[in-house]
Amino acid sequence: MSFVVVENVGKTYSDRGSRTGATVLRNVSARLGEGEFVCLMGPSGSGKSTLLTILGAMNHPSEGKVVIDGIDVYALSDERRADFRSEYLGFVFQQHHLMPYLNAIENAMLPLATLRLGAAEKRRRALAVLEKVGLAGKASRLPNQLSGGEQGRLAIARAIVNDPPLVLADEPTGTLDTKTGGEIMKLFLDLNARGQTIFMVTHNPANARLAHRTLHIRDGALAPESDCPREQTSRTPADGLDSELPALMIDRSGDFDSLSGKPFGD
Amino acid sequence: MRIGTIAFANLKRRKGKALFLVAGIGIGIGTAVALLSLSGSLREEIGSQLDRFGANIVVTPHSDSLSLEYGGISVAGVAFDEHRLTGEDVAGVLRIPYRKRLSVIAPKLLGAVEVEGRKTLLAGVDFSSELRLKRWWRLTGGKPEAADDVLLGYDVARAVSAIEPLPGAAGRGRPNGEHHPASEERFRIARERLIVAGREHRIAGVIGQTGGAEDRMVFASLGHVQDLLGKPGQLSVIEISALCKDCPIEDIVAQIRKELPHARASAIQQSVRARTEAVDRLTRFSAVVSAVVLAIGALMVFTTMMSSVVERTREIGVLRAIGFRRTHIIKGLMIEVAVISVAGGVLGWAAGLLASRLALPYFTEAGAQIEVRASLALFAVAVALSTGMVSSVYPAIRASRLDPSEAVRHV
Ligand SMILES: Nc1ncnc2c1ncn2[C@@H]1O[C@H](COP(=O)(O)OP(=O)(O)OP(=O)(O)O)[C@@H](O)[C@H]1O
Ligand SMILES: [Mg+2]
Repeated sequence: MSFVVVENVGKTYSDRGSRTGATVLRNVSARLGEGEFVCLMGPSGSGKSTLLTILGAMNHPSEGKVVIDGIDVYALSDERRADFRSEYLGFVFQQHHLMPYLNAIENAMLPLATLRLGAAEKRRRALAVLEKVGLAGKASRLPNQLSGGEQGRLAIARAIVNDPPLVLADEPTGTLDTKTGGEIMKLFLDLNARGQTIFMVTHNPANARLAHRTLHIRDGALAPESDCPREQTSRTPADGLDSELPALMIDRSGDFDSLSGKPFGD
Repeated sequence: MRIGTIAFANLKRRKGKALFLVAGIGIGIGTAVALLSLSGSLREEIGSQLDRFGANIVVTPHSDSLSLEYGGISVAGVAFDEHRLTGEDVAGVLRIPYRKRLSVIAPKLLGAVEVEGRKTLLAGVDFSSELRLKRWWRLTGGKPEAADDVLLGYDVARAVSAIEPLPGAAGRGRPNGEHHPASEERFRIARERLIVAGREHRIAGVIGQTGGAEDRMVFASLGHVQDLLGKPGQLSVIEISALCKDCPIEDIVAQIRKELPHARASAIQQSVRARTEAVDRLTRFSAVVSAVVLAIGALMVFTTMMSSVVERTREIGVLRAIGFRRTHIIKGLMIEVAVISVAGGVLGWAAGLLASRLALPYFTEAGAQIEVRASLALFAVAVALSTGMVSSVYPAIRASRLDPSEAVRHV
């Protein structure tokens, strides 16, 4: 059984003034296997963020249902759904949405605030994820004292601190230059290599090519997967990825060798 | 990190707003504390004044006749010799359920007699209870002992030349009871004997000037006066002192009326009564002003929290999105408000106490005190806390109801 099942999801935002709302998603169905890395591409306004928040258990669909790990997410009560988000999901916002008044380690720790864990354990876990994203040395910096790429990595640290099985990311590389975007992308590949299921919205075909699959959305409807060229939707082994990756990324991790795909930036 | 950590970080981040709220609650609580402790200490002062004052209940016979005044108390039947009170009635007073609250019962018989050619009011009293009741009397000379000993009021003593000024050194009157700021008597007794109602009496002592009715009266022992006036066993008035601050005077009066249906019992009208009313009014005024100021404080908390929630919409959305429950959001906001409220409460309490101490001299003579009481501090903090919390319930619930995906998009 698939880890994530999206079944005939539709979303109509009720327009406050008029009676007719804007239908943003139509009959969207998709499945994600456990440990899969799936990208979502589509033009601006096509409903990518909407679909992601629906998958993120924080935006009630107008129709259809979302089942994650056998749990019908929107059948849960609001409070139980919050617990579900805390337990199952890591969400990386496009604009990061870090708390400006908390320093890096506090931001990373934020999802642990509601958990019954000792202060030392929370700190340990937060430090471990900061380490993972390469920010261990900047734990006491405030977000505005971090570069854009560092902020992105901090947002990822926050998303994975509770060790969620499913990580959702909304254009995490959108505002970054190729090199910094590459670092972020590498982080996700790294997470994926450790077993986390990843669903990522991206505008960058190079990123998409590193994923197992890419879904395409247009005007709120998913394009049939068969329409997508194969080399663009799936990774194939031994494609000489390493040689084309920025040197920095390779230095950071040996894991990368195990992954394969097309080189960055065509 | 816990929810409280985030709440504290938020407080630190919005120091200005937090201080503004602390000040708002502090002013409200401070006003309430100042007014309450002020009226409380005035009330206490009046209580002790009342205690000092002597009688607060007077029992007189029912009478339709003209009345003669005695110290602001109308004494019925002096002119018409209608004495219907007797020693039996004193026993009756002692039978009322509240008898334990009565500290002094002073029966007396009044009559107009001739003193060296002047009509003078003669009172037969039980000296031991009378002197306990009239604690402000200062006697020169001694307490009457024998049956024909009399005490003279100051004016009477002067009129009959019973006293003469002290040459030089101040001869002090014997203070009767605790401190009393009466004028210093500087006289001594100049004669021994006096004819009262045609019989010779020994002047045992003179009451220093009080400015009251006793200045123009002569006092002798009750039995003796009853003989003298030919009214054995009769009384014209029973003065009763219930020595307690919050005595149920009206209830005691009602009980006496029930026990002595033929007599008239009334709570004494004194200038203290007027002051009591003034303090009652001040207390009511304090309550109203405190309520208004607190309501303003509550409104301030409400609007500040509402705007704070709007301001933090996106942040709240993010917290919800990463797994905070509604109750976690409410808890965080409530912790913030609680910290602010407790700070405001403590500050307000301290400021209010200080203000009332500074203001007290303008409301009362020396002597009254503002005590530091833990109960008032606790009360202040409790009121601050509940005001803050209650005014934040709605904003907090609003915050918790925010749709996370919408809130995150909020700009
Ligand atoms: N809360 C909302 N209320 C009303 N309309 C909304 C809401 N959220 C999104 N929309 C509309 O739904 C459509 C899809 O929005 P969405 O944010 O999902 O697009 P997107 O694919 O993420 O676009 P982009 O690539 O620019 O981020 C847009 O037309 C947007 O205006
Ligand atoms: Mg979007």
